[in-house]
Amino acid sequence: MANRTDPAAKSIRGTNPQNLVEKIVRSKIYQNTYWKEQCFGLTAETLVDKAMELDHIGGTYGGNRKPTPFMCLVMKMLQIQPEKDIVVEFIKNDDYKYVRVLGAFYLRLTGIDSDIYRYLEPLYNDYRKVRLKSPEGNFTLTHVDEVIDELLTKDYSYDIALPRIKKRWTLESLGALDARKSVLEDDFEEEEEKDENEQDDLEEEVAHEKDYYQTRSPARERDRDRRRDSHRHSVVSFPFHRDRDYERDRDYDRERGRGRDRDRDRERDRDRDRDRYRLREEKDYGRERERDREREGRERDRRDRDRGRRRSHSRSRSRSKDRKRHARSSISPRRHEPEDGSAREEPKKKKEKNEKKDDGTDHPDPEIAEANRIRASLGLKPLKL
Amino acid sequence: MIEVVLNDRLGKKVRVKCNEDDTIGDLKKLVAAQTGTRADKIRIQKWYTVYKDHITLKDYEIHDGLGLELYYN
Repeated sequence: MANRTDPAAKSIRGTNPQNLVEKIVRSKIYQNTYWKEQCFGLTAETLVDKAMELDHIGGTYGGNRKPTPFMCLVMKMLQIQPEKDIVVEFIKNDDYKYVRVLGAFYLRLTGIDSDIYRYLEPLYNDYRKVRLKSPEGNFTLTHVDEVIDELLTKDYSYDIALPRIKKRWTLESLGALDARKSVLEDDFEEEEEKDENEQDDLEEEVAHEKDYYQTRSPARERDRDRRRDSHRHSVVSFPFHRDRDYERDRDYDRERGRGRDRDRDRERDRDRDRDRYRLREEKDYGRERERDREREGRERDRRDRDRGRRRSHSRSRSRSKDRKRHARSSISPRRHEPEDGSAREEPKKKKEKNEKKDDGTDHPDPEIAEANRIRASLGLKPLKL
Repeated sequence: MIEVVLNDRLGKKVRVKCNEDDTIGDLKKLVAAQTGTRADKIRIQKWYTVYKDHITLKDYEIHDGLGLELYYN
């Protein structure tokens, strides 16, 4: 009846498009009064009117898990399956931000990967605030670009499981997409140049001091090495800078408002035309950045994973190294063995102490150890036995 | 440490070890880790009393071996 999908609609991801929403949430939507009253017999045009009346987004809320009108409209769109042009119109329209978010969400659910990145990434520049209904029923504040970021990075949003899409770099390597060009990239360039100039100045000062004590050529070589290293350092430290500056720039832009952003865009376009030669350098630069960023990301993941256990081990290991060095440096070879032995015992003791201090994940009973491991990963304290 | 049994009468029966001063929210996270559903989809009830997330097991007087009902939101 009213809940059946349009028979002319194509199947999405191999199933009835309405099945993208899981069973329980779907039943909640069908029983909702907003759905029954307002969403009956909607077409694409009348849907636009309803979408313009939206004033908040969100998933299900309250003890009953009541769906928001936003969810009902998403469901309706899945049911009638509007054309891609209409959805793109939703996204491109500038006046109604909730219509934009609705279109973006629908595209994320039903579109193909390259389309999703192509149409959703420009929305990163939209800094407007949107009202979000939290699962407890209160309203909170978020922004359009935060919503888009969630859609592109997380796999579950507003009580709907988002279909898996390929990673951006996969599509770039396939050639389906161009490399990501952030609108704030020129600002990053300026920041980076400033940092590089500061580092170079520092190096020059240090080099001048060393000239007094040493001959010239080694100092010059060292200078050259240091410059090369500083370049590498600036590239490696760049991701951290970027995060900080990105936050700062974002807040700054928000305060300034949208009018000024347009002027900045115009100025930036002018600059871009003038500094076209820079773009080519930038491309190679960007690739280095990507590689380093990936490396940093991987290192960070490794660090996070091994945080609980490995750190204590490495600490004890380094301490044992020091002790061994001291042991060997101290005098007679006859005393060599017992000192080494004691050195080896102490790090063992330290290791045990460190392990016991941990979350009880080394408990002799394997069930309790397993339970403690899960608790530690969830951030809970260990079991009190 | 107490052990609580949660049963959803559709085939999922879980035994969870937890502390008495854990909240229901923490219990839901532990159940989610064991069953694979999401923590916010789980509802824990006892007959018609829906247990709230921020109250501890001790305050609900949930003792060792108590059976709770597992429902989904």
